Parts: sequence; C-alpha cells; structure tokens
Amino acid sequence: MLLIPVLIGVTIITFTVSHVIPADPARAFAGGPKAQPETIARIRAELHLDKPLWEQYFYYLNDLIHLNLGKSFLENRPVTTALAQYFPATFELTIFAMIIAVPFGIIGGIISAIRQNKLSDHITRIIAIVGYSLPIFWLALMLQYVFAYQIPIFPLEGRLSAGMTSPTTFTGFYVLDSILSGNSATLLSSLHHLLLPAFTLGFATLAIILRMMRSSMLEVMGSDYIRTARAKGLSERTVIYKHALRNAMIPTITVTGLSFGGLLSGAVLTETIYNWPGMGRFAAHAVLGLDFNAVMGFTLVVAIIYVIANLIVDILYAVVDPRVKLGGG
Amino acid sequence: MRSFRKKDKKAGVLAIVLCALLIVVSFSGCVQQEGTNPEIKSPLTYVRYDIGEPRTLDPAEAYDSASCDMVNNIYDRLVTYKGNDTTTIHPSLATDWIEPTGNSTTWTFHLEQGVKFSNGNSFTADDVKYSFDRVLIVNSPDSGVVWILSQCMDTNSTKVIDDYTVEISLTQPYGGYLALLAFSVASIVDKETVEANGGVVADTDNEWMKENAVGTGPYTLDHWTHNSEIVLKKNDLYWGGWAGNHVDTVVVKSADEASTRILALQNGDADFAYIPYENLVDIRNKTGVIIYQAPSYDVVLGLFNTISENTFMANKEVRKALSYAFDYQSAIDDAYNGYLYRLPGCIPKGMPYYDTQNNGVPVYNYDLSRAAEILNASGYTQTYQFKGNLYRFNNTAIRIWYNSGNAERQKMALSFQQALTKLGINSIVSTEGWPQYLNRMYNTIEWDFMFLGWMPDYNDPDDYIAPFVGSAANGGDTFNTGWANATVDQKINEGKYSVDPTIRSNAYETAFNIYINDPSLIYIGQTTYTRGLRTWLQGYSYNPVLEYYYYNYYKAYPV
Repeated sequence: MLLIPVLIGVTIITFTVSHVIPADPARAFAGGPKAQPETIARIRAELHLDKPLWEQYFYYLNDLIHLNLGKSFLENRPVTTALAQYFPATFELTIFAMIIAVPFGIIGGIISAIRQNKLSDHITRIIAIVGYSLPIFWLALMLQYVFAYQIPIFPLEGRLSAGMTSPTTFTGFYVLDSILSGNSATLLSSLHHLLLPAFTLGFATLAIILRMMRSSMLEVMGSDYIRTARAKGLSERTVIYKHALRNAMIPTITVTGLSFGGLLSGAVLTETIYNWPGMGRFAAHAVLGLDFNAVMGFTLVVAIIYVIANLIVDILYAVVDPRVKLGGG
Repeated sequence: MRSFRKKDKKAGVLAIVLCALLIVVSFSGCVQQEGTNPEIKSPLTYVRYDIGEPRTLDPAEAYDSASCDMVNNIYDRLVTYKGNDTTTIHPSLATDWIEPTGNSTTWTFHLEQGVKFSNGNSFTADDVKYSFDRVLIVNSPDSGVVWILSQCMDTNSTKVIDDYTVEISLTQPYGGYLALLAFSVASIVDKETVEANGGVVADTDNEWMKENAVGTGPYTLDHWTHNSEIVLKKNDLYWGGWAGNHVDTVVVKSADEASTRILALQNGDADFAYIPYENLVDIRNKTGVIIYQAPSYDVVLGLFNTISENTFMANKEVRKALSYAFDYQSAIDDAYNGYLYRLPGCIPKGMPYYDTQNNGVPVYNYDLSRAAEILNASGYTQTYQFKGNLYRFNNTAIRIWYNSGNAERQKMALSFQQALTKLGINSIVSTEGWPQYLNRMYNTIEWDFMFLGWMPDYNDPDDYIAPFVGSAANGGDTFNTGWANATVDQKINEGKYSVDPTIRSNAYETAFNIYINDPSLIYIGQTTYTRGLRTWLQGYSYNPVLEYYYYNYYKAYPV
C-alpha cells in the first residue's frame, strides 16, 4: 500500500523539477539549430508543452494510468521499450555485483570480527577501507587498463563480444537467456563480460557489508546472551553461527537491501566506462538531454525498486529473526 | 605479540610485492616490440568506436550523422560521391542523366539494370518514384529532413517513363540538385517491402522502417542493440559485387567514455575511433595507431545577438570591433590544439564558391588597437569608471554563453573575455546544458554572444549561406541573431535558383561583401576532421558529405 503514495510523490517531484527548468527540449529533440519549425511545433504539442504545467501533469498522470510512459525523444522510441531493454541489463549486472559483494562481505565481516586484531582482521579492514575510498570510476578505469589492456584476459567493454548476436530473448538477462536457449557461445561471452563491471560495481558494496557485518558481529559477540551461551559450554562454532550470526545479520540485511536498490539505480559510472547498455547510462543521457519522459520513467522504476527492496528486507528480517512478525504491527 | 608483529611484517611484505607487481604490469605495455606489426584482429570485421547512435534507419527521417551513416551503407542513391572527392558527383543507381536546359527544370535519369534489393526484389523506376514521394508524404515528423527534397520537389515531380527511366520536374530551378540527390534522404527504398510493412501514411513515421532496412546497398542490417552496437553484414546480392578487398561485417559501437575508446583502439578491438582533440595526444606515436586528419566542412561560429537587450549590439561598428577582438590564433592553438583553420565567411574550404570570399583570406584578425579605434570612433569610449578601471558601454557586461561540456567553446569564451577586458569591456561568461542553451538562443534575448557549429547536409554553399546570413523572412537566420539584409537575401536566392556558375559566383561574392562588413557572426574556423585508426585499416578516406562508406574498407598492412 506504501507504493501508491510513494509513486504519486515521486511523479509530482520529478515532473515539477524536470519541467520548471527554462529549456527548449522540443528544439533540442528536433535537431537543434537545424530543427524545422513544424517539427518543433509537433513535438511541443506531443509533449503538451504548450499547455499550463498543471495540465501537463494531468496528461502525464493519465498516460501513466494507462501504463504509457510516453516516448523517449532522445532514443526515438517508447520509454517502456527502452526500459524493457535496459532494466534487465542493469539488473543482471547488479545481481552479479551482489553475488560478489554479499558472500564475501558477510564472510569477511565474520572472519574479521571473530579474529579481531589478527592478521586476517587487518587484511579485511584494509580491503574495506580501500573499497570505501576508491572512486568507482577510478577503479573501473584501472581494472580496464590492467585486465583488458595490459594483461588482456577480460574484455574491455560491452555485454557480448563485438558483433555477436544476443541470445534469444526470454528475460533480457543474457546469462539466463543463453542457458534457456542453449547458446553456449553467448553464455561464455556474457559471463566473461560481466566479471569486471560486476566486480567494480560490487566492490564498494562489499566493503560496506563487510564493515557492517564486522561491527554488528562484534557488538553481538560482546552481549550477555553470547556470554551465557559460552558459559553453558556451547562450542564456539555454535555460538557464532547459531546465536550471534542471526542477530548480527539484521543491520547487514538492511544495508544489503538498500545497496541493491542503489546499485540498480546508480550504476551510471560503471555502465558508462564499461559501455554497458543499462538504465544508468539511459538515465544519464536523459537527464543531460532533458528527455522528460525518460527521466520520469526511470525515476518511477527506481522508486518501485526501492519499495520492493524494502519489502524484501522486511521479509528477510522475519526469516532471520522469528521475533519479527510480518504485518503484525 | 611477537608472532603478531611477524604476521604484520609478512602482510607488509605481501602488500609491497603486490604493489610492485601492479606497477610492473601497468608499465609493461609501454615496452613495444620494434619492427613487428601486431596481428590483425578479426580481419574481415570492421569495428568503429564512436559516440551516439542512430535515431532511425529510415531514409525519410535520417538527419543526424549516425543515422545517415547507416542509411548510406544499406541503401543507394541515384548519384554519389567517391573517395574524398566532394567536387564530382558520380553515377550510382543512375547510370547517367540529362540536365535541364533553358527554362526547363526537368532532369532525366537512366537507371542501372539488374540491381536487386537485399531481399531479392528487383530495383526499377517505380521504386525511385515511390521513394521520393514517400519522403514528401511522410514529411519527416521527427527530424524535419524533408526540407531537403521539398525545397524543389513535390509528389508530382517524379514521373516513371519506363522501368529504367525517370523524369524529375523540379518545382523551381535548383543549382545544387545533384548534390541534394546524393544525400541520404534521397535513398531508394523497396516499394514492395515498405508496402508490406506499414506502407506510407501522411505525416507519420513508419515504425518498421525505423528499426529495419532493405536496400540495394553493400550492407544489410544484422542487429541493433540500442546504446551498445549496430552490426551490418555484407549484402550477398550487392550489384557492385564483392571482388577485391572488402570487410564483410561492420560493427559500430556506441561508447560514451573517451578512455574506453582509446583503449579499444590501442588494443586493436577498434579499427577506428572517435577521439576528442584533447585526447589525441594519448594515441600519438602509439604502435599500430595513426591519427587520420582531413579538412572537414564543420565550421565553428560566434553568434552576435543583434536584437539583444543590450542595444549597442545592434550597431554594426560594435560587432566589427568585437570581430577584431576575437583571438583567432588562440582558438586554433589553445582551444582546438591546432585542429582548426581560419574560415573567411560562410562557405567552408572545399565547397564550390569558397574563393568568392575575399579569395579565402579572412577579413578580421585579432587586433585590439583596431577594435579600440572603431569603438572610439563610434562613440563607445572608456568613460565609465569602476574600481579604478575605465569601461565602455557604461560598464554593461557583454553576456557570453557556451554549452556545458564543450571544452573548446569554454576556452574560446574565456579567451574572448580576456580580450574584452583589455578593451575596457565588461563581460560575463556563463554555461548551461544544451536544451537550456537552445532555449536562451531561440526564445530569449538574454544573450549577446554564443558559440555554435554547423555541419553539412549536402555539398552546396546554399546549405551554409542561406541559414547563416539569410533573413528569417527568407527562411534563414537559423541562429536567431536577428540580422537581415534585403540585398543579401536577393543574392542568396539568385545563387540558390541559378544553375549558371557565373551568376552564382557573382551572387555569393556580392553577398559576402555586404555581410562581412555588417557581421552577425564571427567566422572562427573550420575544424580538421580527426579520428584514430589502426594502421591495418585500408581504403578509408574522409569525405565531408559521405563520411563512411564501408564497402571500400579492408584490413591489411601496407606492403
């Protein structure tokens, strides 16, 4: 139920912000200085730019209710078509980034906490600090330079090798589509192309999860019930994995959920450098080109993602900690 | 404690070794083997890394360079250019033609026989009429490119005489008609294919044609992944044949990040890449890579707003003085790193009638003394005192704008500001995004000077002079400078509608002598076209009006 007010709020904010800027997107879309007056007039009419702002908003809402996000003038095709292509690309990249970030972050955090101030703790903390501090564009450029140029073991950019036809589309996820269509060439190529950008995107999240996991583990390990469990003579393994871990996971799940939403919506730099045809690049182009419909379509999708991510986090709370009841108030 | 320190030491050593390894790896590529050519990657596939992507594959809508590029290689036109020659128009689907004589405006074209579209359909005169009429009926609602044909054709213009002859009666004489027919909008589509996929609807785009293509050209569309790549494969039925050396696959990648394009070129993933002027230094003297340079038709202009709120901008003497205050050499050396050369007037070098502009010698050069002299003589003296300095125009600031992200224009704007300061003129340099910039230019008078560029549609001076210095009433003033001159309009029309070279030459010369002495623009320069190429790429030569023609390309080291 939270979704509806959130989406209405998002539409009002994005619509107002994008439309109050004094600009001439119709002329920009129609070819700039070479634009013909008839073309500009047609685009203005199509975008309802000749109407008052409040009226434009209701046109937009009306289209939205009919699941019509309008046309992206920069891409010259419907926003829904563009998002249908870009969303799976970004989602696939984010999933792989999370596959790298979550297990390594959690395991690293646990090791770091239970071996506090030992060598492994120092190493994992260094990794966390590096992950926090490295600007993502710098990491992307360096990884590209070292592993795609100097030691060319990974491809430089893209989702598939140059010229390779994408697998039959079932989901838009190249890895999954390759498996479903039995296309081993695109499967290998897509996996190969995923590694560097997924690592780049996942590294900062790994660091965040690692730090969060470490600190919450340390906090839990120092609590009374852990001391009691130890006093009862439980093995250290049981204490850590059965009693401490579940409680320590709660903040980590929150961070992971929000990071997932953040990665989906904020992969602009990674996608730009690795030439990944995803939502981040689409959104960046749309914002710079003042492609209203594309900006609003993207924002709406991101809002939905965040709401869903929060919902999943809430469900996971209940799974991890049975004391949390879903829908119980 | 001791063992902990020992472990710490080990970690330190490990970190140092890793760092050293990283540095060695990073610089190992700097050592190149002398005298050996790197192995050619994918010898039959040409890969270009560029920015942007096509908006459409439909010739009736293609106007941006990326769309025209695809159309030019999938479709043919009646006439074409060859190599880097922009002066001679060669037959393509037309074997020959008869030009109109006397008062006639009728052209007759004889067509190539035995030509097939990539789907096996035969090309006939019906397709020519259908293609031209289709452009005029569809009326390019997205791009407005129809104007190129509609300025001298309507749906009654093209008549089919027989299967291989068409007659085209122009609505008015047009000096640059053949050049216009070589533009992508005049590409020939397969009537049967279009009719089977949505046909022709007035003022409406054909959605199928936007993302699909069947032409008679050397390549066919394989696939298009938006914002990633577009791939063409050779058309086995191409009437020009495939004897000799040609690439059989063309991949055009859309890569926003310059460093990605640079690395792709250096590691051989790319055969050809767009590298910005400021990054050319990164690929200079790299093994296997060359910087290709050629004169382009792309011009860089400064625009004066003659209808500005600052009324002194309406005074031609002020604009003449400002033309002397622009540091052209700094624009060439500092902003464009030498990849720019002077432009005397509207018509770029390489285009017919260039010499009608003071024989190609620029009238204005950077000369602050001359600028001050003109301003003083016009009564705009340095009389306003502010913080110990004397200013002209009562210290009213000249508002200079450039669009954000354009490094060259930013440098020129700052250089201009410095020069104006020396002249005692206050100025403000500002920037904003492209849609906002256009809004300012076309919908406000809140600017005095802006930068803009122009690229060719077709190879005729009318494509430059009419939009630049024609009045709004005559279909010109494309930059909304507000400038107009009746005699210049008359001469523009004389040049446009005459096929007599002497009449055209005189018309353009007279127009030049008027507009250069009452400048609405600063003709800053004409850019050098530069691209990064692998040395193994052969057959490429830049033509400003037909930038890419992949059929000529192949990959081999020169013997």
